[in-house]
Amino acid sequence: MMNNEEPEKQVTSEEVINPVISMIMSRMRAPLIILIVVYAISMLGMIMIPGVDDQGNPWRMSIFHAFYYVSFTATTIGFGEIPYALNDAQRLWVICTIYMTVIAWLYAIGNILGLVQDPVFKKARNENRFKNQVNKIHEQFYLVCGLGETGYEVVKALTNEHYRVVVIEQDPESLLENNIYDLREFVPCLIADASVPRNLELAGISRSNCNGVIGATASDETNLKIALSSKLLHPEGKVVCRSDLLSFEENMRSFNTDYVVNPYNTFADIFSMLLHTPSLHLIYDWLTGAPDSQITDEPLKLNYGRWILCSYGRFGKALYQKFLEHDVEVTILDSNEEAYKNFKQNNIDQVEDIIPTTGIDEKSLKKADIETAVGLIAGGSDDSNNLSTIMTARQMNPDIFVVARQNLRDNSELFKKVKADLVMQPREITARMIRVLFLNPMLCDFLKIANKQDDEWSNVVISRLSAVIGDSKPHIWTTEISPKETPAVFKAIAFGRNIKLECLTLDPLSSTHKLKCFPLLFERDGNFQIMPDDETTIEDGDRILFCGMREAMNSMNWTLKVMTSLNYVMNYENEPESYLLKALMRKKFKHGERRDTRR
Amino acid sequence: MNSEKVLFSFFMILALTLNFGFFIGEMDEAQHHNVYELFAVIIVNLIATILKFGDRSRLGPMLLATSLVALVQLISAALVWTFAVHIQETGLTPDTVVLIVSLSGGAVLANIISVILLMIETTMLRR
Repeated sequence: MMNNEEPEKQVTSEEVINPVISMIMSRMRAPLIILIVVYAISMLGMIMIPGVDDQGNPWRMSIFHAFYYVSFTATTIGFGEIPYALNDAQRLWVICTIYMTVIAWLYAIGNILGLVQDPVFKKARNENRFKNQVNKIHEQFYLVCGLGETGYEVVKALTNEHYRVVVIEQDPESLLENNIYDLREFVPCLIADASVPRNLELAGISRSNCNGVIGATASDETNLKIALSSKLLHPEGKVVCRSDLLSFEENMRSFNTDYVVNPYNTFADIFSMLLHTPSLHLIYDWLTGAPDSQITDEPLKLNYGRWILCSYGRFGKALYQKFLEHDVEVTILDSNEEAYKNFKQNNIDQVEDIIPTTGIDEKSLKKADIETAVGLIAGGSDDSNNLSTIMTARQMNPDIFVVARQNLRDNSELFKKVKADLVMQPREITARMIRVLFLNPMLCDFLKIANKQDDEWSNVVISRLSAVIGDSKPHIWTTEISPKETPAVFKAIAFGRNIKLECLTLDPLSSTHKLKCFPLLFERDGNFQIMPDDETTIEDGDRILFCGMREAMNSMNWTLKVMTSLNYVMNYENEPESYLLKALMRKKFKHGERRDTRR
Repeated sequence: MNSEKVLFSFFMILALTLNFGFFIGEMDEAQHHNVYELFAVIIVNLIATILKFGDRSRLGPMLLATSLVALVQLISAALVWTFAVHIQETGLTPDTVVLIVSLSGGAVLANIISVILLMIETTMLRR
């Protein structure tokens, strides 16, 4: 009878809360009852049938012995006829016992195996495991919905900075394509529809340590729903959503979604940088590129002249605006009548800019005078057409600058081979943008201000950058002066010391050396100072955007957080740390007084 | 009429009545307390406990808890019996009988609570 105690122990742990255990229990009810009844009948038979002991005296099995006997027979262990040899009547009953109990066991085991295979049970178990994993996260975390190309890039960037991330993805195939188990932090992943609020709830959206939600699924509708749910369930959290269509974008903005990333407009901004000055585009590329990406050292070479823009969809529209802003001549090719009409309605003054033709074949490109154009943008939503346009155009005008829009990730190899000067991948651009928004929001402000600077300024930044980082990819980080983030600096400011920005960039191991980094942007009370002066004095609440080597960031953390390191770089004498020395030296170090430098 | 409900109530009440039948009699008199009756009580209690598995009603966890208490009491009584007869071979002394019967008495109380809870649940459903 005691063999039935095991499942009962599970009962005591939160039965109603845990669906997995309650599922096991309700499914195991029938097999367990059958098992108990069969055991009871077998034992009763063994007790009631009279036998003889080794001396030939009449003897009956006790309940204890019967239980022992049935237990080892039913589990097919079979120790033999214990304690005394059985007579034939008992043996007949044992035959019945064996078949009854073995069948009962098989039924019970089959039931358990069936339950384990059951998709409903599997789902309940996965959800349960996921919930436990999310509950175990006590630090700040981000919730990424959709593990496509964009989602994966974002997850990778966040985990690289040792942020915790939780992922919801509907398609199990994406998990195979994007391996989340190789990342620097463990990433719990739920395979479910992110547009269902219950799944977001499971992923911890309403937990206080959920820092932000990223809607990076392929469908605008799902992203909209994610933004909505997250604003309702966790209003303090930051929400960033990807959106391809204008109507959805406007809808998302209508309820204060923190950021809506539209790859077309984002690319148009980037392209505008390129038109403005190619060096600025290079800075953008360096500062926002993925941590593991290759960087190009030379800015793209761009000639001034007329451009050809193939296809006037949403992408073409965004780019055309930028051409107008920069006052660059452009010819648009689009065979779609609606696009043609749309253009004519919106741009009455520039009607001659559009030619209703496909732009894929030689004839139509000739119409647009490709020989005299300096640049071509293949911006259609079909990769094959874009590739064909580029190949034809290259034959007719080998020196033309080519911008290609790549819609599908699988076509990467083809776009590499066609050697476009600039490839626009909507997903990659979205990932870059989200990465910047979450890791270093100040970088957005930097780029905005940088857009107003001239070519010379960009070249100075580039030379400073290359001097500091050489050939490697720059690391970007934001430092906020606060008691929690930078305790040492905060304390020193409270003493009344005058800390200059320069001090932070000195090596805490050898103060004659500078760290391989420099400040890009300095913010105080909403006022920005781009490429701040080394002599700038730091105050509480200031935010500084740095750029340089990752090692430099680690070294700088010593200065920011450890008083002795800060004293060293600022040439102050160390104050005693231990209680005894503090008591002894009290005379010399009065709290709050400014101390002399060592020099 | 719900046949599942009948089965459920049947086993719970049978657990109580059998248990009571074993418990009643002189405390230290071995003749008043039959070993097969204890066996039946344990089997019926086991079945009653398993029937309560996965019961999602509001009183489900309470019902299960009372059954588990009764089982623990009864199985310890059976273990005491086995120890006395088979392992220490002292036989059923009045001391052991008192211990066994008092343990089963505790199980009676747990079973009574169980039946009361069942009645409460039934009346609540009726409303």
